[in-house]
Order: sequence, then structure tokens, then C-alpha cells
Amino acid sequence: MSDAPEETPQDLPEGASRRLAELENGLFTSDLSVNEFLLIKEVGFHPLGFVMGSSIYHTGIQTRKWGQSQELTKLTEAMYNARELAMTRMEEEALELGADGVVGVRLDVNYYEWGKDAAEFIAVGTAVKAENGVSHRNKLGKPFTSDLSGQDFWTLMQTGHIPQGLVMGTCVYHIAHRGLGATLGSAGQNVELPNFTQALYEARELAMTRMQDEANELGASGIVGVRLEEKSHQWGSHTIEFLSLGTAVVKTSDDVTLPRPTTIISLDN
Amino acid sequence: MTLSAEEPGDLPEAAVRRFAEGAFTSGLTVPDFAACLQMGLEPVGFTQGYCVMQWQFYGTSPFGMGGFGGQSGIRGYNETFSCPHGMVSGEHRAWGQNYEQAWVQDAWTTGFTTAYERMEEEAASGGAHGIVGVVDASGPLADMGVVEFRIQGTAVRVIDGQAPADGRPWTTYLAGQRLTKLVEAGYAPVSIAASVASVRQWANCVTQYLTEGSNSMYGGITQGAEIVQTVKAQTVARQLATDGIKRQLAGDSLHGAALSTVQRNLGEGDVEIECVLRGNRVRRFKPFDPMPSPRPTVRLL
Repeated sequence: MSDAPEETPQDLPEGASRRLAELENGLFTSDLSVNEFLLIKEVGFHPLGFVMGSSIYHTGIQTRKWGQSQELTKLTEAMYNARELAMTRMEEEALELGADGVVGVRLDVNYYEWGKDAAEFIAVGTAVKAENGVSHRNKLGKPFTSDLSGQDFWTLMQTGHIPQGLVMGTCVYHIAHRGLGATLGSAGQNVELPNFTQALYEARELAMTRMQDEANELGASGIVGVRLEEKSHQWGSHTIEFLSLGTAVVKTSDDVTLPRPTTIISLDN
Repeated sequence: MTLSAEEPGDLPEAAVRRFAEGAFTSGLTVPDFAACLQMGLEPVGFTQGYCVMQWQFYGTSPFGMGGFGGQSGIRGYNETFSCPHGMVSGEHRAWGQNYEQAWVQDAWTTGFTTAYERMEEEAASGGAHGIVGVVDASGPLADMGVVEFRIQGTAVRVIDGQAPADGRPWTTYLAGQRLTKLVEAGYAPVSIAASVASVRQWANCVTQYLTEGSNSMYGGITQGAEIVQTVKAQTVARQLATDGIKRQLAGDSLHGAALSTVQRNLGEGDVEIECVLRGNRVRRFKPFDPMPSPRPTVRLL
């Protein structure tokens, strides 16, 4: 629940506004499976509509030093901004529907032949609203977002937690090439390459820290389902984007007794 | 940051800050997260350890065995396989050999252990008692010609529990329901265990002919036959991996052992076999207390 003022949507495409207006009449769209739909209803939420946000972003270039490991801050910012734009637009669609949150969010990057240096960042999910009328928007007054499935959402609610937002941290890092001296010095040996280890370690930790900073801004008590993804996109092998993603959660109740697991035997074929 | 196999050393600055700040992070799925809470384990943070290794070429000749640049030479398993024809010509493979590639095993063990110790160090710095849901992998890093060892897991603390006496967190590949069942069965996790074996097969003429198939020389008229040298290489590789992990157990049990084998064909019957055996080292802490009989269920798929 939140006391923060609820935001109003802006600049949605005309088609989206019309589609969302029709959804407000009671019809809903959703990419939930039947089982997910059942479980979302079981914990007191109702799907309002399938929402999405997109941003086609020119990621530009940044010079890098051949022999130096360093973060490429311009590229990091670009990757961050593009995803934020897509997420914000999806949240705007959810706001238009009066949603409390968006579940099952998927965040993808697509490249097209017609735009060599551009990428489309797209976020999609299903907007949901609490049936009892209690607001579950996050500390910032926005609908919560989460990449959890319907099953995971139900399970999380049983633990006394509720999502606050899909949080992410990214870091585009250039890994230094090895000089001739260093290469010759260890020729023929199986040894650790500390410069590579250190660079990768640092980059991953930066991505994780940024994700955690986002969670702290939301007042979250934790992040579940953390994933750490790595991709070179179109920058060559020595430049890698490290992206960490997870769902920030907050504890809503200390008075939760989790049921003892029951053993079952499936009679399905 | 100091990085060496002997001493994992300091953590990256960002890691220290991450563990010191507010929200916990967890790489567990939501069902695993719920099951851990049910067991009385609270997540502390997502922990990670890495090691990038240079993986150089090494002996490809039975006369020049061992890696270059001061790598250790042959030790352990070494067996020759003479062909029945004797020295027919210079191109004829009259002599074959299987041998254990100790320098490969040493390099793998160094990379794995270093990454593991770094993950352990991260977890200990956050006050963790254990690490659950450990995932490890190794493979080439982009096209840089190096191999990276990655080990990650979720550090946890036992609610109202005590830290391990030696300060080193226990570790397990298990998490959630599978960990619950293990504890229900009366076993406590001690650590993950992993062992590698690398065996090189330098084929003699019979092995080369049989591994290339019966169509290569006589149009498919030969009969099927066991390829003795290959069978021996494969068997020994698995046995060496098993022996390696037994040495780590020190009287404990191995749960959920998984053996993965990668075979690299080098041509003309020459093969390099790499076996990795992984599992959870566990220790009994209470007698088995049978759980209730399972409830029959039908899923509404």
C-alpha cells in the first residue's frame, strides 16, 4: 500500500489509448495461462489488460582504450535509459487502466536489419488490480512491476511479501586486451589472468549494486529471482553488457506461518 | 583486490558496498525462496566468485607429454597399446597410449577452487551461515581464448542459528524443496564437491581404424568389435573422477552425484576425454524420520 500521490499517464499512442479505453468497459486481455489466471484471482487480484512499452534507441559509440579495462558509461546510460523508457511506457498503460501492478513482465531487446545501430527495447506484462479496492501501488505511487509468473506471485504472497518493482542494474564494460609482454610471459602455462577476472568481477558487482540501489529507492526489503545476464550485443567480444534483474519485494506481514510441505504422488500419466 | 589461488583476498569494492546496504538479493526462484523461509533460512545476498584462466595448448605427442612452460608432466594413469602389426611404415600407428593429463586437471582444479573460495569469502563477509542453490559453470569467455570459471549461489543465514565454527559457510547445489527433503531425511549439507579427470587417447592403428568406421578401407565388410583402447580410456576417466571426489568426502556421503563427460575428437582416433563429477557432500545429523505417506493427486492440466 502507498500514500504517495498516484501518477497520471502521458503521451501514449492513440491506438493504445483507444484499446485501453475499451478494456475499461470490463473486457480484459492477458497473456496469463489459465493456471496463472486462477492463482492471480485466488490471491485477490483481477487482470485488467495486456500492457506494453517500447523504445527504439540509438546506442551510439564510445571510444575505448585497447589495453585498459573500463566501464563504458555512455553505453551503460544508453542501455539503462532505453529500458527505463520501455518500462515507463508500460507503466503508463497500466496507470491508464488504474492498475495496482503488472505481473509476468518480460523485457527484451530486438535488433532489426533496417537499423544497424538501433535496438528496440520492449516491455510487456499483464496489469492487475486488487479486487478489495486496497491500493498496492509502490512507494512512488506507481503500479508495481514484476517478472514473476502467476504461480510465483501466488507463492510470494503466501510468504507475506508483495512485489514493489522489477529492478535492474546494468554495466557495459570493456575488458582490456593483453599486451605482448603479458602474453609472452605466461605462454604455454595454465594460469589465472587476474586482469580479466578483476574486470569481469567488478562489472558484475556494479550491475548488482545498481539493481540493489533501485530496490532501496523503492523501500524494498529484498530482491527475489535475481538473474545475471551477459551479452556483447554488437560491440565485439571485449565489450560486454552485464545486466542483473530481479523483483524487489517488501514484507507486508510478520505474522505468516508457512505450511509444512506435503508429499504428493502424481496420478497423471 | 588481490587475486591468487592461495589467497582469495579482498572483495571488489562494489561487492562490499552491496552486502553492506539494505535489501537482500536472492537468486532463488520464488518457490525455493518460500521453502527456505519455511525451513528457517533467511537470504543474505546473491554471492558470486570468478576466475579467468589461460588455458594453453599442451602435449599432443606421446613423446612430448605435458604442458609447455613448466607444466607438470605425466603422473597417474599411463598405459600403452601396441598394435599387432609391428612397425609397417612410418605412417602406420604401431603404438598407442592412454594417459592422464594431470596438468589439465591441475588447471581446472585451480580455476574452480579459486572461484569457489571467492564466493565463500563474499558470503562470509555478509555474515552468512551457508550458500544454497549453487550453480557452477566453466567455458570460453567470448572469443578471448580464455576459460572462465563461474560459481554463484544465494547466501543464507539460519534464523536464530549459529555461524559455522570455522567461519566457512556450508554450501550446496540444492535449494528449496530438494534441500527440505534432504534435511527431512536427516542429512545436513557440508559443501559442494567436484572433481575432474582428463584422459588423452593416442590411438594405435586398430583403434584408429575401428573408430573411423568399417567403411573407410574395406567397404563395410568388417565385423563389429570392441574398441579396447577407447573403452579403457572412457572407463579410467570416470574412475579417476570418482576417486577424486571420494578423497574430498573424508567419510561423508555424496548426494545427487552428476557425471558429465565431454569428448573432443582430435582426428585419426585421437580423443581427449574430460569427466566432471559433481555432488553435494552431506553428513547425517539425525536418524531418518519417515515422512507421512504421499497424498495421491491429479493435476488439472
